[in-house]
Amino acid sequence: MTKQPGQAFKNCALTFDEARAMARKNGEKVVPTFCAMCGPNPTCGVYAFVKNGRFTRVAGMMESPINKGGVCPKGHAAPQWVYSPDRLKKPLLRKGDKNEGLFQEIPWDEAISIIADRLQQQKKQYGPESLAILAPAHRSYSNLIRRFLVVHGSPNYGHSGICYVQKEFAFTYTIGCQPRCDYKHADLIILWGRQPIYSGPAMGAVRSLVAAKQRGAKIVAIKPSVEPDVGVGDIWVPLRPGTDAALALSMLNVIVEENLIDAQFVETWCHGYQQLQEHIRKYPPEWGEQITGVPAGQIREIARLYATTKAATIDLGNGVEHAPSSNDAIRSVAILMAITGHLDRPGGNLLGGGKSGMPRPKTVHLPGSYTQEMIDKLVGPEFPRNFQPFWGGTSSSYYRILNSVLTENPYPIRTIISPGTQPTVSMRGSKRIVEALKKVDFYVVLDVTRTADMNYADIILPVSTPYETDHPFESKGNWIMARNKVIEPLADYKSIYEFFLDLGVQMGYGGDFWHGSIADYQNYQLSPFDLTIERLRKHPTGLTFKTEGTARTYENYSRVFQRRSAALSREPYLPQGKVAIYNTIFEREGFNPLPEWREPPESITGTPELTKKYPLILSDYHTSKAYSAAWQRNVPYLRELQPFPMLHIHPETAAVRGIKNNDWIIVESPHGWMKVKAELYPGIRPDTVMILHGWWQGCRELGFDDTPLLDGGANVNNMYSVDGEKAFDPLITAMSSQTLVEVRKYEC
Amino acid sequence: MSAEQWGFIFKQENCIQCHGCEVACKTWRGIDLGVSWRRVINIWNGEYPHITCSSTSISCMHCSEPYCIDVCTTGAISKRDTDGIVLVDTKQCVGCRACYDACPYKVPQFGLDGTMQKCDMCLSGKPGIPDFTQNAPPCVSTCPTKALVLKKMPASEKKEMEKAMKVFFNQSDEYQHV
Ligand code: SF4
Ligand code: SF4
Ligand code: SF4
Repeated sequence: MTKQPGQAFKNCALTFDEARAMARKNGEKVVPTFCAMCGPNPTCGVYAFVKNGRFTRVAGMMESPINKGGVCPKGHAAPQWVYSPDRLKKPLLRKGDKNEGLFQEIPWDEAISIIADRLQQQKKQYGPESLAILAPAHRSYSNLIRRFLVVHGSPNYGHSGICYVQKEFAFTYTIGCQPRCDYKHADLIILWGRQPIYSGPAMGAVRSLVAAKQRGAKIVAIKPSVEPDVGVGDIWVPLRPGTDAALALSMLNVIVEENLIDAQFVETWCHGYQQLQEHIRKYPPEWGEQITGVPAGQIREIARLYATTKAATIDLGNGVEHAPSSNDAIRSVAILMAITGHLDRPGGNLLGGGKSGMPRPKTVHLPGSYTQEMIDKLVGPEFPRNFQPFWGGTSSSYYRILNSVLTENPYPIRTIISPGTQPTVSMRGSKRIVEALKKVDFYVVLDVTRTADMNYADIILPVSTPYETDHPFESKGNWIMARNKVIEPLADYKSIYEFFLDLGVQMGYGGDFWHGSIADYQNYQLSPFDLTIERLRKHPTGLTFKTEGTARTYENYSRVFQRRSAALSREPYLPQGKVAIYNTIFEREGFNPLPEWREPPESITGTPELTKKYPLILSDYHTSKAYSAAWQRNVPYLRELQPFPMLHIHPETAAVRGIKNNDWIIVESPHGWMKVKAELYPGIRPDTVMILHGWWQGCRELGFDDTPLLDGGANVNNMYSVDGEKAFDPLITAMSSQTLVEVRKYEC
Repeated sequence: MSAEQWGFIFKQENCIQCHGCEVACKTWRGIDLGVSWRRVINIWNGEYPHITCSSTSISCMHCSEPYCIDVCTTGAISKRDTDGIVLVDTKQCVGCRACYDACPYKVPQFGLDGTMQKCDMCLSGKPGIPDFTQNAPPCVSTCPTKALVLKKMPASEKKEMEKAMKVFFNQSDEYQHV
């Protein structure tokens, strides 16, 4: 045998020296860089191998403290994404009517100047607020979007209204910040609407979860269907989609009624416990069972287990941000953590991130530049105006930006820029969205591959993958590393970063955009490090800072509960300097001071009259083992893992409808219908069906065609209500992703 | 037959069902579309509502007594004396798929040229195969939670591994094997 694995089996990936040795032997080039295959902040370190100028594969970077050599399937499939026949090739200018698909190729510079001219003209005619830029997830370039909008004068940063920031808001206005989970010391971990495995499986959270499990920690998963986290779990709490608030209220009821509280903490650090005692009587577990479908006995069991386990942590995921009762669900969970004494104690939910020992790169998003005038001009505030700016700046909700085009209320947005996002498949209410894209004056799309709605665009800019560019550097925890270019761009590509810098210069904002220099932009960010990008680049695997002498402290209540808000008023998040069980700020602004239950627009308990025609609950998953949101269906090695849009349906629910595994089926809601396949799935509530969101794109290599965006396709966002009164959380936007459906076999 | 043979150890309690191993094998070995040398298969345990899932990551087990060799009429499959690795000589394979039917784990795959292909443990010594002198093969080294190990083990231990894998595999859904 010629190839003996010498020391072998140390069960790891490669160090820089090993990667170089391997490359030398195989006649390859190796480039240390970051993986770019999941959002929002992919920071796994990889070695990219290049043979004869072609990017062939990646190995995990042992030196990276983030992934420690691990790489997930998405990361490995990167070369197929880069070389996909679906890549856009040239900047395109629309020639025909919208949705006709007729475009003319133009050079980058010309595209930039057309956009700049249009924005200048609209700024004069309609004011700068007529521009909105969609930024559903916080990516490394989101801060440049904010900067561009601020310099231009528009407040309309378009956040999804369904992801992360909703939790940030409800937690911060209840306990001062969004807490972290102390996996390392917890004896009980409750994963609630959270899926730690399909997003960033090679990052630390999953390693900590597995380590906790092996330490003997008990794991509870609260969600409507079984996913791998239920697989590592001990207890599954199968609740109906969108009923998290009801479950949390009933758990509070148990804990209050049975007096399982940390009396001293409540006394010293909570405001409004007495009002809660009165209020929570309405929500006994028997009531909770009606709404959530979780047996009252199980509600009692997990409430008691949580309250009586000293080192217990709740990891609340984005699943709770998709219902009109989101804000109350999140703050009920925050109140659970507080009154049971689990805040900022070992094994509980920690306030603040601990010290990292590394300076933070200088931010570029200009958070101090917002004025009342800008806030007044928000076209569809994600949070009410008196809470703006929040989390980095002002924001309108993504959906409301698009909707304003149709309603012209308070005014229509004139230009929408979509950098790396696809409104028709990523946002609820696809039919409305299509109408808005048809009507909007000017629509600009920036992406790597074809997008679902690019045929409505006026200008399409093909951007480089992060494997074809040398910026931005990334930093996380104690680690900072430069990004290196793996291959030269395959066509006339620039990065999204270069787009905003170039557009800034062309608009006459050059002084604010480093006169178009990416190096100066990165050097500006690096100034706290006393480093330039060129010097950082000399460290191929980056710099890891020491954490010595930075041991975290606990019970930082007096500090965290005094935090001043980001809102223009700068009033503290917690006016009493205590946990806001009874929330006087919400009360002043006309919202419930105490958490309550609100039904989704359609549900078994809220709209029983619909259940005759539509007996099942439909909801969706946002990520999977193969795909990040609506991306990557075109990547063959990933598509092989999940070739078809599959509706998870319980075998008994399927059997009474004569549906067998893999059958094509029709799923119909009051708002639309899909044609998808059935996956008989024993691990789902029998009254609920679920599907992955984001389906539209085909995969040419495997012979899969695109599917329609609206009825008859597999786009779950077309199935939901966008009723202005019922489908949104009144305080934090959070749009509903629950409806009622019927499922039947597709007969051709 | 040598007393020590190469074998995979799969630690089910460490597997998070991410499928990294499956795709690492595809990219590092440049495998045809539609073919998988390693698969991660879902296993249901229990019934609603007392149900969870786990999985098994399986490639060729390089069996102690390979069923595939027994049924192959052309002698295309062989087990290497020195280390127990089961290899296919595609020139001799006629693509009859008898090995697929015989294999208890449904491992043999048939790509564009119609001949049998499968995991060679990345140790076949064939030209063009990445060199793992320093490291474990890609499926093993990519695993974020160290659920896979490849090691040389005594024949008795190897038989135990095969038995355990058969138990996992038989729990998985029928339709996943096609
Ligand atoms: S192909 Fe199947 S029978 Fe043959 S050695 Fe591999 S696992 Fe065993
Ligand atoms: S050892 Fe090599 S060929 Fe076998 S499954 Fe792992 S990566 Fe694939
Ligand atoms: S890479 Fe590891 S954790 Fe992921 S599926 Fe394979 S064996 Fe399981």
